[in-house]
Amino acid sequence: MTADNPNTTSPHHPLHILARKNVLAGLMFIAIAALGLWVSRDYPIGTALRMGTGYVPRLLCWILMGLGAAILVQGLREKDAPPERTSWRQIMPIVVVTTSLIAFALAIEQLGFVLAILLLVGIGAIAARDIKIWELLLAALVLIALSYAIFILGLGLTIPVWPVW
Amino acid sequence: MELIDNLALGLGVALTPANLGFALIGALIGTLIGVLPGIGPIATIAMLLPLTFHLEPVSGLIMLAGIFYGAQYGGSTTAILVNLPGETSSVVTCIDGHQMARQGKAGSALAIAALGSFFAGTVATFIIAAFAPPLARVGQSFGAPEYFSLMVLGLIAAVVLAHGSVLKAIAMIILGLLFGLAGTDGQTASQRFTFDITELSDGIDFAVLAIGVFGVGEVIANLTRGEESRSVMSERITRLWPTREDFRLAWPAVLRGTGLGSILGVLPGGGATLSAFAAYVLEKKIARDPSRFGRGAVEGVAGPESANNAGAQTSFIPMLTLGIPGNAVMALMIGAMTIHGIQPGPQVMSERPQLFWGMVASMWIGNLMLLVINLPLIGIWVQLLKVPYRFLYLSILLFCAIGVYTIGNSPFSVLIAAFFGVAGYIFMRLECEPAPMILGFVLGPLMEDNLRRAMRISSGDPMIFLNRPISLGLLIAAAVLLLIVALPAIRRGRQEAFQET
Repeated sequence: MTADNPNTTSPHHPLHILARKNVLAGLMFIAIAALGLWVSRDYPIGTALRMGTGYVPRLLCWILMGLGAAILVQGLREKDAPPERTSWRQIMPIVVVTTSLIAFALAIEQLGFVLAILLLVGIGAIAARDIKIWELLLAALVLIALSYAIFILGLGLTIPVWPVW
Repeated sequence: MELIDNLALGLGVALTPANLGFALIGALIGTLIGVLPGIGPIATIAMLLPLTFHLEPVSGLIMLAGIFYGAQYGGSTTAILVNLPGETSSVVTCIDGHQMARQGKAGSALAIAALGSFFAGTVATFIIAAFAPPLARVGQSFGAPEYFSLMVLGLIAAVVLAHGSVLKAIAMIILGLLFGLAGTDGQTASQRFTFDITELSDGIDFAVLAIGVFGVGEVIANLTRGEESRSVMSERITRLWPTREDFRLAWPAVLRGTGLGSILGVLPGGGATLSAFAAYVLEKKIARDPSRFGRGAVEGVAGPESANNAGAQTSFIPMLTLGIPGNAVMALMIGAMTIHGIQPGPQVMSERPQLFWGMVASMWIGNLMLLVINLPLIGIWVQLLKVPYRFLYLSILLFCAIGVYTIGNSPFSVLIAAFFGVAGYIFMRLECEPAPMILGFVLGPLMEDNLRRAMRISSGDPMIFLNRPISLGLLIAAAVLLLIVALPAIRRGRQEAFQET
């Protein structure tokens, strides 16, 4: 998913070929398989009778590598496949959603349930372009009340509600 | 009669106040997410998996099942009134359902969809009750080699019948198998793919992966697409009962849809969506005047809507009797069972008859509830369509985060879910369906276990899979399926079937 300049000429431009769905998918599978093979390089393989830790994982990585190569070749042969384009509008939600979850994870045990929800909702709302501030506050309040009712009153989970000093 | 006794036992379990309550909650949530575009049963069931920790196993499964078939009812409402599929399984309902609504027959279309679904649900419940016991008996005679071959067949069939590229789907299965291997190897107690992170030594939790890929991933995908404008049919739905003429045209289509859906649901990779597509193609093929389709043909609503509900329910058969999930929702149901320490497989029915028959009986009760929830209360659900996605996604995100955290009171799980959310979005963007990955993830450890056991039986000779007749038959079936899909003629036909919209 490269962010190409949309004006760069022909669909056979190397970067355009690289940005085809199937080319990217093939490369992704090859990369994952290579990573898997590298991580499992020291796992004992054993024999078919007494399979070691590495037998099945390495076998699967090689199969994945082959499939990735086949998908890559398929992608290279599709002459008129359009390249993938990615704009900031598409990257932004990924960053926002991930950040809000990380903030929640870091906050939940120290700052407690209420503040963690406020953080998640506050950061997450950046991805909604047209949310109004009173809407946001209302949504946060409703969500805090609802989650409190379900998870703490209903299921009796022991999550700290307020900051732990 | 055995069937009656079993169903009576099941009704006894399903009719306790608590289980009636959970069936109702499941049906309500199912309708809700069915009506709302942008959230489907897979994401919802994944999000609610952690909640079922705290319930009785049978109550949890009754609720999750209700969400799946409830979504089939709700999906048609959005399809008919807004021309947007509330669920992928109601994509084809948009075509004729929305045309009917435009001609002032919205009430008729909604009623046909709900009544057809109810009929299909009732038939499917009896099919499960009748066919599950013999299938489970077959399953009990299977040894490790047969199980391994059955899982291979299941995975291959799931790929062939799913839409999109076969190569990519197989690659996603392998990826799922690899993710399933992460953690401590049960046989040798050594660590695999843990990157020296202590939290990963127990492996990736199934619910965390599912919530990440389907819950968080879908939120990201929806946000990048931007909010589509919805125009809800504003006219009041005046007449909620189909005309005589509509009934006359609809009931044969309901019968055909139910039959087709029941068969396709049982196949691995089948389920609600495939059934609905196939039923629409069938109705159009056998219609005397195919040109009516796309202009408000009542059969185009009745057939697919019956088929998707029948398919949704019969897809429980292989999961309940053999422990083999045919689609992603069934993989989640297996996950819910293993959370409670229930090993899915043919022994569930004999060892836990209450659980099995309670679930089956609750399906019929749930369908009855759905009829009431959907027809007289349709106005309420239409109002819900006006809730903007900006509120919806914040709630989904929060439920994902809290749900994941509560699985093991571990903030690290939330980070893993975030990672799989981004991964899930990339997969969707590159048209690599994440559903086969979940199947692979669930079956991975089971397959490795059976492979190792088979190898020990045969002292390391892989020919054991070909020497045992049942295993050989299953593998031949898998090979034939792969060959068929490689044939150009079939490949074209397959593409057509999925592009009928």
